[in-house]
This record gives sequence, C-alpha cells and structure tokens, in this order.
Amino acid sequence: MSVEPFNRLVKLAARAFYDDITTKGDNQPKTGRSDNRGIAVVVLDALTRRQWVREEDLAKDLKLHSKQLRRTLRFFEEEKLVTRDHRKETAKGAKVYNAAVAATADGHHNGREGDEKIKMHTHSYCCLDYAQIYDVVRYRLHRMRKKLKDELDNKNTVQEYVCPNCGKRYNALDALRLVSMLDEYFHCEICNGELVAESEKLTAQEMGDGDDNARRRRRDKLEDMLKKMETQLKPLMDQLNRVKDLPVPEFGNLQAWEARASAAARAANGDLNGNDPSKSAQGLGFGGTPMPFLGDTKVEVDFSGTEEKGENIKSDSGSTPMKVLPPWMIKQGMILTKEQRGEVKEEAKMDGSSAPAGSSDEKKSAAETDVKNIQDEYFKAYYAALLQRQHEQEAALREQGLPNSSISNGAADTSFERQVGLKSKRDDQDDGDDVEWEEAAPEGNTTSENFKVNDLNVQADASGDDDEDDGLDWEEG
Amino acid sequence: MFFHIVLERNMQLHPRHFGRDLRDKLVSKLMKDVEGTCSGRHGFVVAITGIESVGKGLIRDGTGFVTFPVKYLCVVFRPFKGEILEAVVTMVNKMGFFAEAGPVQIFVSNHLIPDDMEFQSGDVPNYTTSDGSVKIQKDSEVRLKIIGTRVDATEIFCIGTIKDDFLGVISDPGSTS
Repeated sequence: MSVEPFNRLVKLAARAFYDDITTKGDNQPKTGRSDNRGIAVVVLDALTRRQWVREEDLAKDLKLHSKQLRRTLRFFEEEKLVTRDHRKETAKGAKVYNAAVAATADGHHNGREGDEKIKMHTHSYCCLDYAQIYDVVRYRLHRMRKKLKDELDNKNTVQEYVCPNCGKRYNALDALRLVSMLDEYFHCEICNGELVAESEKLTAQEMGDGDDNARRRRRDKLEDMLKKMETQLKPLMDQLNRVKDLPVPEFGNLQAWEARASAAARAANGDLNGNDPSKSAQGLGFGGTPMPFLGDTKVEVDFSGTEEKGENIKSDSGSTPMKVLPPWMIKQGMILTKEQRGEVKEEAKMDGSSAPAGSSDEKKSAAETDVKNIQDEYFKAYYAALLQRQHEQEAALREQGLPNSSISNGAADTSFERQVGLKSKRDDQDDGDDVEWEEAAPEGNTTSENFKVNDLNVQADASGDDDEDDGLDWEEG
Repeated sequence: MFFHIVLERNMQLHPRHFGRDLRDKLVSKLMKDVEGTCSGRHGFVVAITGIESVGKGLIRDGTGFVTFPVKYLCVVFRPFKGEILEAVVTMVNKMGFFAEAGPVQIFVSNHLIPDDMEFQSGDVPNYTTSDGSVKIQKDSEVRLKIIGTRVDATEIFCIGTIKDDFLGVISDPGSTS
C-alpha cells in the first residue's frame, strides 16, 4: 500500500487546477497582502505528508491562520478532495489522537500534553480522500476534454440567438417563427430587431457576427486549446494511468484510523510491555466515542503480547531448549534432539484424534518461518550458534525475542487482515507436505527450500498468526 | 420514425348521415378529420389504414348528433432526436436553411453546416463548397440528422445537422435539370 504515487497525483492535480484559487470572498478588496493564491497548493501538499490531522495542528504547522485554513479546507471538501470530521471531545480524546499521530511515520506533531481542560471542544480533522481524488480528477479531465471536443465539432449544440435591442433570447427551435420574408435574417418577435447568433462561452470574444472567417478562427483556437490541454496535463494523465491499478490508500474514517494507529503504536514500541496497563487504559479511556474497531484490534495486540510472554517463560524455565531449528541450519553430523529437527511427534500424538495431524506441522513450519524471517540480520549469529550448544541456546533465546518484534510489525501493518487469505493458502501447503514429514525428518529440508522462495513478508505475517496456534498448543502440552 | 398504431376518437355524426352507409360516412369523416393532423404524443397522422371497432353511438341531447367511439389503425410519423431523415430544402438564408421531411419542418443553422460550405447570397441563395462541387439551394434533397425536437400539442419542429459523416446533399436539382 504505497501512498507515494497517489501523493504525486495530488500534487500534480493541485498545481494543475488549484494553483490560482483564492479563498477570499469577493467582497474583500484584493490587495497585495491578502492575495493568498497558491495557498491551496501548499495545503494539499501538506496533507499529502499526513494522514488524519487536526486542523489546528495543520494551521500551526503551516503558520496559517486557522480561519484561512478552514476556508481552504472547506473549499477542498466541496471539491471532494478532502474528507473532514468534526467531533466534540475532551482533552483526553485529543490525547488519543496524539497517540495515533505519534504512530504515523511523519510524527512531527508536537504533543499537546499541556491542555488538560475538561471542557468539550469541537475539533475538526481532515484527511485526503485518495479514492475520491482519483475519481474527481479523472472526471474533471473528462469534462474538460468533452467540452472542447463538443465545441470543436459542434455536436449536439442548439444554436442560440439573442436580440441586441431587447435582450430576448431564442434558440434554433424557434427558427420557424423568427424567419422573415423580407430578408434573410431572423427577427425578434417583440421589437423586430435583427437577431445575432450567440456563440459559445469559450470563444465568445471573436465570434463576432458568425461569418465564416470567425468560424474558422474559432475552430483553430479550440484545436489549439485542446492540444495545449493535452500537452500540459500530460504528466497528470500519466500519473492517473500509473495509479489506475494500484490499491488506493485507505485511512478509513477518523475513528477507525485513530484506533488502528494507536494500536500500531503500542505494538511498535511495546515489545515486552505491549499490554502496559497505563497505555491500554489510555486507549480505552477517551471521551466515550463509540469505537467498534478498537476492540478487535486490541484483542489481537494483546494476544500476541501474552503469547510472546508465554513463550519467553517457557524457554527461560525449560532446561532443554524446545526451539525448533530452521532446516537450513541443520547439517550433517549435528547432534540434535528430535524437537530441534522439527519433529514434534510426541505432541502430535498427544493432541489425539481431535487435533489434526497438521497442527504439529503447522507449528513446525511456523517456527521455521519465524527464524527465516530474521535470518538475514542474524545469519552469522546462527552459524556461530551451530558450533556450540551453549551458544546456540543463547541464539535461540535472542531469536525468540525477535519474532515478537516481527509480530508487532505485522500488527502495525494496516493491511494485516488482508493477508489472512495468503496464510490459509500456506496452511494448505503444509498439510500437503504432511505425509513426507512424518516419514523422514530430512525431508523437511526440501520443503523449506520451497518456502524460501516465497515472499518474506507473507511468511512473517503467516508466522505471526501461526504463532498464536503455537502458543495454545504449548499450553496444552 | 413511422409507427402503425391503434388510436381512438369520439366521432360526432350528423343525423342526416344516418342510414345504410352510416359506417362509410363515419370512416370518411374520420379520415378527413384526422389525417394530416399532428399530436404531440404520437406525431403526425399520415394515413388511416383500417377501422378496429366502432362502439355504440350515443345521442346527444338537444342536437341530435350521435357520438361514436371509433378505434382505428393508422400510420403515424414522429421524428426523434438522433434520427436520420431525408428532406427537401425549402428555404436558404444567411442563418441556415429550412427543409421539410413530409410534414415536419427542420431548420439547419449555419453552424451545423460543414465549415467548408459558404453562404452565397444572390438570386438563388445557396451554400456552396469552395470548389463548387456541392451546392445546397432550394429544392435540394439533403440527408440530415435531427439533433433537437420541439413537440407542442399540435406542432413538431426539429433542428438538424448535416455536419457529420454521410450527411448532406443527396441529389442536386441544379445538375439534373
């Protein structure tokens, strides 16, 4: 989910269409000082670097007056570029937002811990609506092109006539009534004045009396205009095409985004104290706004936290390391326990008939993928660990610290849920390999080769989920 | 576009027609009344092709006229937007030209005439291409496309264009005569 191409689209569109937008009312005199053209571009650019942002904060960052900013944002809301959300909230609610902001990559919003007022304030938030921006820009381009093209070949245009004396307007459908027997012109029904053809808006200035010369000139101008439009807006159109097949970055509404971002923040900085009571209390305790998303996300995060804790305890207390070695570490002549080879047959038997035989394999593959996930960084550490059993235990401990971070990363990833389909596919694959693993342990090597080909990210996410199963099983055993 | 439809009309018949050929009189009066009229809904009634049914007559108090509800089959002509028609030019002026397709009057304004045709005033006002090969004048036959219609209760007026592929003059009276 990359925002960058969409940001580029927004920036191009801003420069193409909103460059000379001024948000001043018409009644105000336009002096040099109050000329705020270009502000629209600045605001849009700033928004591309943020997700949901409180408008006051944005105003502060842009050194704009909040009124001026709000006027611009309202304009963009009408233009369907920006979604806005207003809500009444206490200082506590603002804190949740701040926590969420801190989680986003561009966390250069200074915290607002100072204001601890209980008073309810209405705060406005705004965010770019990329999906809609894409549609709006496309529609705008389409309308521009259609208007020019229609005018160029005069398709479906009913000619209008206007009386220069009394201003009465007629169109071509009235022609039969207007024609006079005396000369070849149309005459006004009221004042009998000679009617003149009304020309289109785009080329009104040189239409004149509608003689052929003017017509040709107009046509040339239209063609020129169309050509200019095509060349000048080409970068924008290219960007539209580029963006066409990309998934649109979706921040959801404000509350969903907040919940997700704060959950991600907790997952990211809290590897061991992931379910720190104070933080979770903060997450729960904001101003009573309904938050359907929060429950779900929290459950997930907590789960991984407890699970990793359980794992830690187990490996600490257990004298024999139950960690399964990744297949690429196992070499000829190594003295390893069956558990280390990844054969956990006893557990599979212990599960009995109710648990499928695949569970043990699932566990094993989960452990494998865990290690593989971080194999790049700790490659050397693992090889050193092969030499001595002691070292290996240490390494195992360390690596158990690391899957936690990988899990939390998975939680932080907003597209986490979407990976579920991939995960299930992998499970199927594991089940298929089931028989081979039961027969001979070294077969695990070959299957793991297949896994390596897969995308690392997918493995990480899948392992994150599989670990949950893992934790459950361990508690049983 | 032509349609063959059933319409209904209440016919008032004078008592003097009552007799053996009452039915014939009814039909001939219907034809006289209806053919050539225009209704906004159905368009121009071109011809009556048959009588579907003649209902029971109702004698009007005081006058002695009898009202028969008559259902009749007829051909109607109604122009539609986007339809291609062949029409005869009736008048050419600086603003464009008028043409007739049967009962329908069509106006083609000068900006819906191809750009290479220019208005030539004079004895016979016409639109001519620069090389003189194509000329639109009175009694020329043109094929045109309707781009707008005004349908009143008793009148249909259209505007057309000849600025499209395969539209324009289909036979030039000047060249044949």
